[in-house]
Amino acid sequence: VNASCAATLTRDLDHWVGRFMAMASPCDVLMDDAPADVAQQVLDAVAAEAWRIERKFSCYRTDSVVHRINQAAGCGIEVDEETANLLDFAATLTRLSDGAFDITSGVLRKAWTFDGGDYVPSQEQIESLLASVGWHKVGWQRPVLRLQAGMQIDFGGIGKEYAVDAAAACAEKIAPALSCLINFGGDVAVRSARRDGKPWRVGIESCGRIGTAERVVQLARGALATSGDSRRFVFRGGHRYSHILDARTGWPVRNAPHSITVAADTCTQAGTLTTLAMLQGSHAEGMLRASGVRYWLQ
Amino acid sequence: MKDENFNAALAAATCALLGSAVATPVRAREEKSPWSLDSTLLYYGESDDRVRDISGAVAATRDFGDERKLSATLTADTLTGASASGAIALGRPQTFTSPSGRAVYTTNPGDLPLDDTFLDTRFALNASWTQPLARLYTFSAGLGFSTEYDYLHLGANLSLARDFNKRNTTVSAGVAYSQDDIDPVGGRPLPLSQMLDVGNGASKRAGSESKDVLDLLLGFTQVLNRTTVLRVNYSYSDSSGYLNDPYKILSVVDPLTGDTLTRVPIGEGPNGVYLFESRPDSRAKQSLYAEMKHAFGKPVLHLAYRYMTDDWGIDSNTGEVRLRWPLGAASYIEPQLRYYTQSAADFYRASLVDGAALPRYASADFRLGDFDATTVGVKFGHGTASGNEWSIRAEYYQQDLSDLSAVIVQFGYRFGL
Repeated sequence: VNASCAATLTRDLDHWVGRFMAMASPCDVLMDDAPADVAQQVLDAVAAEAWRIERKFSCYRTDSVVHRINQAAGCGIEVDEETANLLDFAATLTRLSDGAFDITSGVLRKAWTFDGGDYVPSQEQIESLLASVGWHKVGWQRPVLRLQAGMQIDFGGIGKEYAVDAAAACAEKIAPALSCLINFGGDVAVRSARRDGKPWRVGIESCGRIGTAERVVQLARGALATSGDSRRFVFRGGHRYSHILDARTGWPVRNAPHSITVAADTCTQAGTLTTLAMLQGSHAEGMLRASGVRYWLQ
Repeated sequence: MKDENFNAALAAATCALLGSAVATPVRAREEKSPWSLDSTLLYYGESDDRVRDISGAVAATRDFGDERKLSATLTADTLTGASASGAIALGRPQTFTSPSGRAVYTTNPGDLPLDDTFLDTRFALNASWTQPLARLYTFSAGLGFSTEYDYLHLGANLSLARDFNKRNTTVSAGVAYSQDDIDPVGGRPLPLSQMLDVGNGASKRAGSESKDVLDLLLGFTQVLNRTTVLRVNYSYSDSSGYLNDPYKILSVVDPLTGDTLTRVPIGEGPNGVYLFESRPDSRAKQSLYAEMKHAFGKPVLHLAYRYMTDDWGIDSNTGEVRLRWPLGAASYIEPQLRYYTQSAADFYRASLVDGAALPRYASADFRLGDFDATTVGVKFGHGTASGNEWSIRAEYYQQDLSDLSAVIVQFGYRFGL
């Protein structure tokens, strides 16, 4: 275990604060008052789960399942149960979004760089990449996955939220009565309410001023996820293109809200709603209103 | 998202992924200061030193979360000045007995007779509770109370709203009931009885009268698209009981000269013949209100129209246009224009003619006459960094029937606690 992978546990006024890095994000575990050894045990389990999921599903690691799947494109590959569950879930999201969300759309990032500049790739470039995009081109017969040659998958938009829920379940298994807030880079889950009945307070970063809280959400139980383009976008021709790509066109979504935060029962549900709403562009709010969830836009 | 069962499909897929059959329902809410206060100070001043009203109001709302809210508004009003009594102007001085029946006041030749004993302080308190009843339903209930030296008002209201069509449509229905007790200074004049000398109470009766008002309201709000919202309200209002204004009179005029008949008081009293007004004891009003808000990017246009008709023969039309124009990131300016026109009540008349049969109902109150009124105004608002907002609004009102104009200035400050 190297230094960057170490989890640190400190004591705040009335709760424990565990910190570590995973999935390129700062991760926090806030725990209600508990014996130090219990807090340490919970933090270790949460960090271990985060690192396990990162190792397994990162597309940047050569030892990951995703890497193995992408390397095997063109041939069939049998996947384990957890991966199969994630693939089923991704397929549902593709269906619910009429194809706008697609775990095979990552190859489009070869053309798009979202650095706040105004570079836009040519239509020919996008179309040549679109040949390798589309879940309907994938053979998926649980547990066998068959990508066409040149296709790739990644679990961006699902993986981190899934990891939050999975880590929250690990913490609950160790200390069922202990209220923990799991926060992986702004995606948050709480499984049980705090002992004093007070909610955890979650700040939602302001788009304009990074580092300052636009608003504070009190979370007693459930999850929050945020999707935003405050740092990643392309501005061209009077339109702001978010970093969220519509897999059907290969183009980023136009005129979506800068940031969407959703509260839902699980972080996976909240994260999915933010992603699918972003894909609706200027109709994002209509979709969120119709779904009846609590949401905040910026 | 075309799938109607989107939420159910997503919840099922999440369950399958996470393997937890029972998800605990989320409990999250935005942290806001639980109290928000909206305070206003309003000045209303009519030309020629007629009515002047200074009114202060504080509306406090306590947010209990989960869309449950308690609101209370406290208003204090001070009215001073004089209002038109209903008598016509004459080329000679006119003397009237004041409403108390204990003194007289005199109007100069050529002036519109004004009753300058007009002075009142009013306190009003309204409270309401709003909460969701079930998914898509919102319920609210309220109570109101106000008091003046000759008036006591008690009211209650209930309403229920339901959202449809992915919450783009809201339909609401409401009912309100109020009871007012009126105890006029100097007693309640008998309808169409004559104004008598100081100390002669023969045309007045002691004791209070009451009025009941039942209102029914149907509302419809439709989000037409991302930038346009339409609202339509229909209301029916039924008033019954004492609907007279005990301080309003009519001049009785000579059919040939058109001048008010003269009268010789015994001691102090009126020097002309004046009768107290008489109105029906019921009134049914219907009104239809439509409002559209449209955002052109940042600027917002507000258009509103109201049609009202009642069984007294009054029909009125009101049109209003406002345009909120942002100035920088935190301020806005909002010019507004309102035009109002109404037809007279069937029993409205400027005066009564001597010798003609006395009608059953008659009033010279210009508010029941045929008139047009125009209001032009502008509002400026500024939001502070801490989320509070202050505003100032100035309006000019011009009405043609009794040659009335008024200036309205309002300061507002909205803040959290």
